[in-house]
Amino acid sequence: MTETTKPRAPFAPWDRRELPGLFAVEESARRVGNYKWAEMRLFEVLGGWVATIPELDVKLMLGRHTYHHAWHAELWHKRLPELREMNPDRLTVPPNDAFVTFMDAIREPEAPELTIEKLVGVYRVLIPRFIAVYTYHLNGTSTITDAPTIRSLKFALQDEFDDWRDGEMLLQSLIDTPEKVERAGRRQMDLERLYLVSGGIAGPGSLGEPVEEVRVS
Amino acid sequence: MKKMLPESELARDERFVRTNIEDRLFDPRGPKVAQRNTGPARMGVDRPAAGERSRSLMHGIFVGEIQALEGAGRTCYDFDDETAPFQLKLDMARQCWDESRHCEISVKLGDHMGAEIGEYTESTFLFAAACNPDPVLRLCGVNRALEGLAIDVFNSMKDFGNESGDPVLEFCEDWMLADEVTHVKMGSDWLRRLTATDPERRERALEFQRTVDAIFNLGGFRGEDDENPIQLARNFRRLAGFTDDENDSLAALARESTVQAREMAEAASAALHASAQGS
Repeated sequence: MTETTKPRAPFAPWDRRELPGLFAVEESARRVGNYKWAEMRLFEVLGGWVATIPELDVKLMLGRHTYHHAWHAELWHKRLPELREMNPDRLTVPPNDAFVTFMDAIREPEAPELTIEKLVGVYRVLIPRFIAVYTYHLNGTSTITDAPTIRSLKFALQDEFDDWRDGEMLLQSLIDTPEKVERAGRRQMDLERLYLVSGGIAGPGSLGEPVEEVRVS
Repeated sequence: MKKMLPESELARDERFVRTNIEDRLFDPRGPKVAQRNTGPARMGVDRPAAGERSRSLMHGIFVGEIQALEGAGRTCYDFDDETAPFQLKLDMARQCWDESRHCEISVKLGDHMGAEIGEYTESTFLFAAACNPDPVLRLCGVNRALEGLAIDVFNSMKDFGNESGDPVLEFCEDWMLADEVTHVKMGSDWLRRLTATDPERRERALEFQRTVDAIFNLGGFRGEDDENPIQLARNFRRLAGFTDDENDSLAALARESTVQAREMAEAASAALHASAQGS
């Protein structure tokens, strides 16, 4: 028979979660609002691109990924009121104007010949940065007080890793000449410069200490 | 990237051949075909052309799914957050994933049935309905009219799979049917929500839906008689939120289209006969 009155520790010996975390409620909410804004702009453009892409395998992949990023946006939308932001739209904003410029550049290609440019922006620049900023938040936030955000971050990260792999594999199969290697490289470099100016998906300090303002000519 | 992509700019690889709906309706071979007594048009396993017709229909489903995917994707992109609420865009993103799966399913089913991509032509009328600048009209035209048609098509194909002893076809069509019921419900739900205080806009949207419905009834394609290849799936339509009145009115519209198609075929046959006598 089990002894029901015997005291047990509230945390099992292997449960090493701790109270302290890098983010207060307000900072966590601010970041979540930035994530939602970026995921929204991403799912919209993936959906919009579907009709402009002639390659069937890419077209169908984008249809699938559109929903992944919409779902992430929904997760963050639902998390905001739990972080004391009762008007989620107020915090659904980009971190700064430079990040808007970066996202506009990601969303700019339209012509059917520009599939490589579209995919490089998303799968070699933006999604790796989602992985980085989500991982930073996951590793830095309080594992006890901010557990609901952690759960959403883990779901989102799982998708981001899978989607990154899908996109990168398709890119590798599309980049089949030295000229296309250069095209992909140029596109990546241009976008990374813009990203650098913005400071990241959550602005300067996306991955830690706020950095000095960066100017790239 | 610009907002509102015209149907002429849909991107396809070289296998796809595009036709427009007028070319199909006014195909000069039509009257000659109509002269032949080929029996009931309803898909049946005992019909000599059943295999060919089902492959052609499956290819039509495939290209329709591509356009439905493209249309839902454009609805995510074309509107700002005020014109199309966040939740509506989430529904459209979900529909993108569903349509993407339907493309995968119909490619594999086409392969299973012996059809190749590009073997039949593609008409882009479905995407044209998804270009309406008002999101409510767009959803009514696509999610209620065209996805409603998809319910009828998938149910007819599911029955055909059952009757022809093809469990793969029956199984897949049943899964796609489940998704289409969801899409129609989304359309009905957003129509109600976005026009709750604007009855005039609601009526415009329903009128647009009737126009799209009428186009897909053309030539007696859909109805409740043996003359119609695609049968109206009343039970599934009811599940999707169509009222009995709506189903009755669609059936009446379909009967009207069938009669018109029959009259046009008879007139064309008579004209052909007369010209043959004269020559």
